[in-house]
Amino acid sequence: MSDIPANLIPIPATQAAPSQRVRSYWGSVWNRLRYDYVTLFCLALIILIVLSAVFAPWLAPMDPDKSSMANRLRPIFHPKYFLGTDEQGRDLLSRMLYGGRVSLLMGIMPVVLATTIGGLFGVVAGYYGGKVNMVIMRTMDVFFAFPSVLLAVAISGSLGGGITNQMLTLTVVLIPPLCRVAETATSQVRTMDFVDAARASGASTASIISTHVLINILSPVLVYASTLVSVSIILASGLSFLGLGVSPPTADWGLMLSTLRQSIYVEPLVTAVPGVAILITSIAFNLVSDGLRQAMDVKA
Amino acid sequence: MWLYALRRLVLTLPILFGVTVICFALVQIAPGDPIQNLLSPTASQEDADRLRAAYGLDQPLPIQYFIWIAKVLRGDLGMSIANNAPVATEVFRAFGNTITIALISVALAFVLSMILGVIAAYRSGSIVDKLITAVAVFGISVPTFWLGVVLVIVFAVNMFWLPATGMGASGSETFNYFNWEDFKFAIMPIIALALPPLGIMTRTTRASLAEILNQDFVQTLRAKGLSETAVMFHAVRNIMPQAVAMLGLQLGYLIGGSVLVETVFTWPGTGFLLNKAILTRDIPLLQGTILVLATVFVLINLVVDLAQSVIDPRIKRA
Amino acid sequence: MKSSRMPGVFKAAAFAALASAGFAGSAFAESVLRVAMTAADIPDFTGAPDQGYEGYRFAGYTLYDGLALWDLSSSDKAADIMPGLATSWEIDPANNKRWIYHLREGVKYHDGCDWNADSAIWNFARVMDPTAPQFNPRHVGGMGTYTAQIESIDKVDDYTIAINTKAPSSLFPYEMAMYYMISDCAVTAAGNDYVKYGAHPSGTGPYMFDSVTPHERLELVKNPNYWNPDRIPKHDRLVLLPMPEASTRAAALLSGQVDFVEAPSPDTIPRLKSAGMQIITVPYPHNWDYMFRMDVPPFNDLRVRQAANYAVNRQDMVDMLQGVATAADQTLIPSQKWYGNPVKYEYDPEKAKALLTEAGCIPCVIKVGISTSGSGQMQPLPMNELVKEQLDEAGFQVELIPMDWNALIGVFLAGADGTEYNAINFSMAPIDAVQGVLKKWMSGNASPNCCNWGVYNNPEVDALGEQAIAEFDPVKRDALLTKMNETVVADASELYIVHDLNPRALSPKLSGFVQAQSWFQDLTPIVVAP
Repeated sequence: MSDIPANLIPIPATQAAPSQRVRSYWGSVWNRLRYDYVTLFCLALIILIVLSAVFAPWLAPMDPDKSSMANRLRPIFHPKYFLGTDEQGRDLLSRMLYGGRVSLLMGIMPVVLATTIGGLFGVVAGYYGGKVNMVIMRTMDVFFAFPSVLLAVAISGSLGGGITNQMLTLTVVLIPPLCRVAETATSQVRTMDFVDAARASGASTASIISTHVLINILSPVLVYASTLVSVSIILASGLSFLGLGVSPPTADWGLMLSTLRQSIYVEPLVTAVPGVAILITSIAFNLVSDGLRQAMDVKA
Repeated sequence: MWLYALRRLVLTLPILFGVTVICFALVQIAPGDPIQNLLSPTASQEDADRLRAAYGLDQPLPIQYFIWIAKVLRGDLGMSIANNAPVATEVFRAFGNTITIALISVALAFVLSMILGVIAAYRSGSIVDKLITAVAVFGISVPTFWLGVVLVIVFAVNMFWLPATGMGASGSETFNYFNWEDFKFAIMPIIALALPPLGIMTRTTRASLAEILNQDFVQTLRAKGLSETAVMFHAVRNIMPQAVAMLGLQLGYLIGGSVLVETVFTWPGTGFLLNKAILTRDIPLLQGTILVLATVFVLINLVVDLAQSVIDPRIKRA
Repeated sequence: MKSSRMPGVFKAAAFAALASAGFAGSAFAESVLRVAMTAADIPDFTGAPDQGYEGYRFAGYTLYDGLALWDLSSSDKAADIMPGLATSWEIDPANNKRWIYHLREGVKYHDGCDWNADSAIWNFARVMDPTAPQFNPRHVGGMGTYTAQIESIDKVDDYTIAINTKAPSSLFPYEMAMYYMISDCAVTAAGNDYVKYGAHPSGTGPYMFDSVTPHERLELVKNPNYWNPDRIPKHDRLVLLPMPEASTRAAALLSGQVDFVEAPSPDTIPRLKSAGMQIITVPYPHNWDYMFRMDVPPFNDLRVRQAANYAVNRQDMVDMLQGVATAADQTLIPSQKWYGNPVKYEYDPEKAKALLTEAGCIPCVIKVGISTSGSGQMQPLPMNELVKEQLDEAGFQVELIPMDWNALIGVFLAGADGTEYNAINFSMAPIDAVQGVLKKWMSGNASPNCCNWGVYNNPEVDALGEQAIAEFDPVKRDALLTKMNETVVADASELYIVHDLNPRALSPKLSGFVQAQSWFQDLTPIVVAP
């Protein structure tokens, strides 16, 4: 949960390679990844999980919201219900597949949004420096004064439940660390010779940022963002668990865990199922981001 | 050194100001009404308005903020609406319960992570290393609330070894960490809290050690005929400043992020209080708890920074 | 090492000797009853309980008494009121707006101060007179509703007071069963500071305050001098623990942390039974229903309201709840005096569909506000899912809008015309005719006056209500109230679903508990075996 480092991520000088070397750089990244079987396996796992969520309507054996009072809390590996049923007699396997949609969305979307917004602020702060930098980064510092879980609970608790509010909360929580990474990377790139050269040759700020800065900060920012996916999934499910996330009857792994907990004395194994999915997904994303980091040679 | 400390302190003040603004703003945008829980099931709107006025909740927001901040500076965090007790008393009592298990958890995690990290770095690439890495990844990836639920299933529901929830048979006030009957209530919360920092610190320790062991000076030491144990000792000493900083940071995260674990185990700490304040929409309690936790987090970061600059004078970051 | 340990052993031995001397004559140590409440926090115990009626149950009637009390000694009939701190009361024969209360003599508060007319009048000023030093706005929020009808109070003599009501109010004595008397000298000694008073609260009830650990436990001890010797607790200490989660309560009971659990979740009941726990249920006035908004479509149409009532399969709900509820065919339960002989709505989805078609509302889109938890809301999420499923099958199109309990209370207080919902799932406690019939259905009680949420307006019902309030003959009054209730049921003015049977799980160590047909319970007869 507490994986967002508050300290700066050092960016090695090799990252600030001139843009013309980019293609061969990505090529070498792929070369390294090709032989990293753990990462490849996890990547395949993630693709599988994502596909099963996307195609949930075709894969799910039953209607995830169809309750059946006669079939409540069936055990795991039941002939009709592979993962058992929940407290309303809904097929758990179907709910897990559908629940993956929300949970994955909550893992990926806030990271994408925060990378865009936080990245933008970070690039602006890093490129312009001075007062702009101070205003942006000191504001971010205030958010860093909150441990991530506390900030998420505070914002979400204030805004109330619902998918939109939860996404908003997670985005706000993830913006400051991404902003910082982007800012550090940008301010290092800014002082590079080739940026100076571009500036001297009269290139506009916009074109310098888009042709030189963005492409060079991409890998550290992406690697860092990839580590946040698992953080985001866990935070989101934690919020749902506290009743601060999606509202029922929407299937969501965190919420399912929370409601099934009431049945812990009836079907303990069924209770544990949604958490296993969160755990596996989170591990897969963590290992993939590790692999990416190594392949891209970005230091943690 | 002193100049650096002073500068860090001064830089902390605007952050703390920002923290108060956020605490205040967050709570104001919240839907729901704290007054309603106090009303009898048959009270009228008029009764509600009278009570609202009595709590100053009918004033304009900036005025509510300045009234609040002036009180906060005097150490008065207001009165909890839900049970009419001073918020400061509430938060600090709960804080004691949180910091104790957080300290135990983080100490446990630190010691274990050093041991595991050293073993993994020493036997780099072996099965043991892979196992330790797996443990670390598990620790980083596991949702603590699920881990808590699983621990309850195994040790309380199935085996009846440990009590599922609460803090001691006779409550937190007489809780004694040195009494087994009490301490067994703390075991599962401590395990659930310790696992994520264990994962993070093990991984960091292993990575830093591996890097140092690859450096030239280590090769020189080896060449000089130093035993592997002595070499490892050198390496560990080298990563200590970083490890201590990590320890402080993790402590801060545990204190601020204990809400899920405390909710699962009904452990009466600040996280539990926070959850309660959210459920009952107890505005002063919510504000007070968040404010205290964020302030503590800022101060821990400050102390970590200062401690690091003492241990390792090379670090003089802005 | 060894020598430093010795004094400890001696100390322990000395303590054991002292302890056994202290309990000389008694074979057992202190007997303790530990109760797990469903409340999220310890209810207010200064004389104006919060947390709904569970607060009254555990932090009200334990420490305090009202002029009247609820008779909780039987589980066979709906609880009614009985004399409490007043031995009797009657309406002034010359003035039907003046109630005479004869106070019980010789009663003392826990702090030793006397209960008398002055103390009673002081207690009313606590809520009614903003200029009184003891005025407590918090208590107004909780208790103000019970004194709302009072115009003034006269002291007749030291043990007689006269309460003047603003209008004739035949059901006024029921209000007095909810209004607690707290020690005036304890509040005065605390300098009229109720926070300080909260450290030593003092009432006349069967239990005395001992200690509190905020959010965790409230400890009360028996009042050996309680004025009613039959109700002196049969145990020495009562410990009340807030445990909002059903699984937590079950775990606590199974592991022996508590002896008495409120509302175990239905699913855990088999497990609790197999562990030897006693599961007890009793019907009581606690209906789990949907309140309709009746001033706008679709529920302004009687046929739509009837359709909803025919669409619900109540037996399914009872089965899902493992039998800890009974099917409801109106707000009241059959053992209540005003139940009458009203229309009953049986499960008939075809009829429901036909009615909806006739009303021209297919699919009939409705927005229902529900809570995710809350006092008396039972298992709101699965239960509402089931209702939605059944209504949808009959031609409704239900959108459930979940919110937290306090937000839903806000929606309730605002009244239907101030919200966007066509219905809310809001449990009420129709414990007496005021709450169960009058305030619920008279048009004058629409928002901002409690509790006619759905803006129900039926002149016939209003007229019956007016007559009942002014009728001081109990038999005639009950007849009017019964007629009123029957009319309301015929109007299908709520979606009647189930009545809670409020299951409780008790450790096999406990005996003597009689579960009353009431929201309130008397814990005093419980004997705790060691």
